[in-house]
Amino acid sequence: MKTKLLFAAALTALTSAPVLADGAALYAEKTCIACHGKEGKKPLTATYPKLSGQNAAYLEAQMLDIQSGTRANGSSAAMKGVMHLVSASEIKEIAQYLSKLK
Amino acid sequence: MKKFLALAFSIALIPAICTAGGPPAAIQAGIESKDYKWNAQEGEKIEALKLKGSVKDGKEGYEVCGACHLPSGAGRPDGTFPQLAGQHTTVLIKQMADIRAGLRDNPTMYPFAKELTDAQELANVSAYIESLCIPAVHGMYEGTDAAKQVADGKAMYEKECIECHKANGEGVKDKFYPVLAGQHYKYLLRQMTEIRDGHRRNANPDMVKIIKKYDNTQLVAISAYQASLSMPGSTCKAGPAAKTSKKK
Repeated sequence: MKTKLLFAAALTALTSAPVLADGAALYAEKTCIACHGKEGKKPLTATYPKLSGQNAAYLEAQMLDIQSGTRANGSSAAMKGVMHLVSASEIKEIAQYLSKLK
Repeated sequence: MKKFLALAFSIALIPAICTAGGPPAAIQAGIESKDYKWNAQEGEKIEALKLKGSVKDGKEGYEVCGACHLPSGAGRPDGTFPQLAGQHTTVLIKQMADIRAGLRDNPTMYPFAKELTDAQELANVSAYIESLCIPAVHGMYEGTDAAKQVADGKAMYEKECIECHKANGEGVKDKFYPVLAGQHYKYLLRQMTEIRDGHRRNANPDMVKIIKKYDNTQLVAISAYQASLSMPGSTCKAGPAAKTSKKK
């Protein structure tokens, strides 16, 4: 039983630890970087937000809303075109990654 | 009356919506208008077309494009972003100018079209993209009936598409007809469908006339065949050494 628990703990550690790295890879691979810049710090235009250090829950909610079309104001049309590239869990990882940047 | 007011209100809102996330210029009348003239030789397009692009300077300018279209120009096999490598400069300049002019609706491209305003830079980036070899691997039709689809598509392509897009899908540079070889199946299908249905508003009316009669099944077959085309000499060779096939 003990070993089973240990194993589960190790597995959790293994699967949750690389969140940052995965989020960073997703951020580049899913083309977020094209508009929001490296580490979400240098948006392409002044009307796009900086994302670095933003609250994860807020980032996740906005991404989900833009993906579903619930949010369609401002420049979100530009982003809607790429939101089919990410799943809900990938959105979560990207949000985690960005929120931890300083 | 209430209805009328609501309608008037929503009409009044349209310009605001268009400028917020809209194209750099106001939406222009395209294929849906009877006054539409395809590839009107005017504006910044003419300026960029006249300039000689520098492949070397274009490489730098392409960096921002590469975030979506990839450094190789390969785009994405799922068709979200088209393959660009080896495309004619004329086509690249026209499409970019059309997007900026509000003639081709592509919200994801708007911010980039807004940034790339200098005619010389546009010529440079286009020259660089044209100099890239066409990646050998790209999105194909993947059904189990691929062989049949490609064969059916070939028959139709050779009947009506070949005159402009040519036997290997090389297009015609000075007529602004794009290279199709190496393009992703899903992107080809989406563009053809949009051209047929009037959603790609900068389309060539001559093509619209031809493509109108094809149903969805036929467009699938034609796209499957187009994606199978390759241009000898322009396709990337295996190995990292062969980065560009054409030097300018």
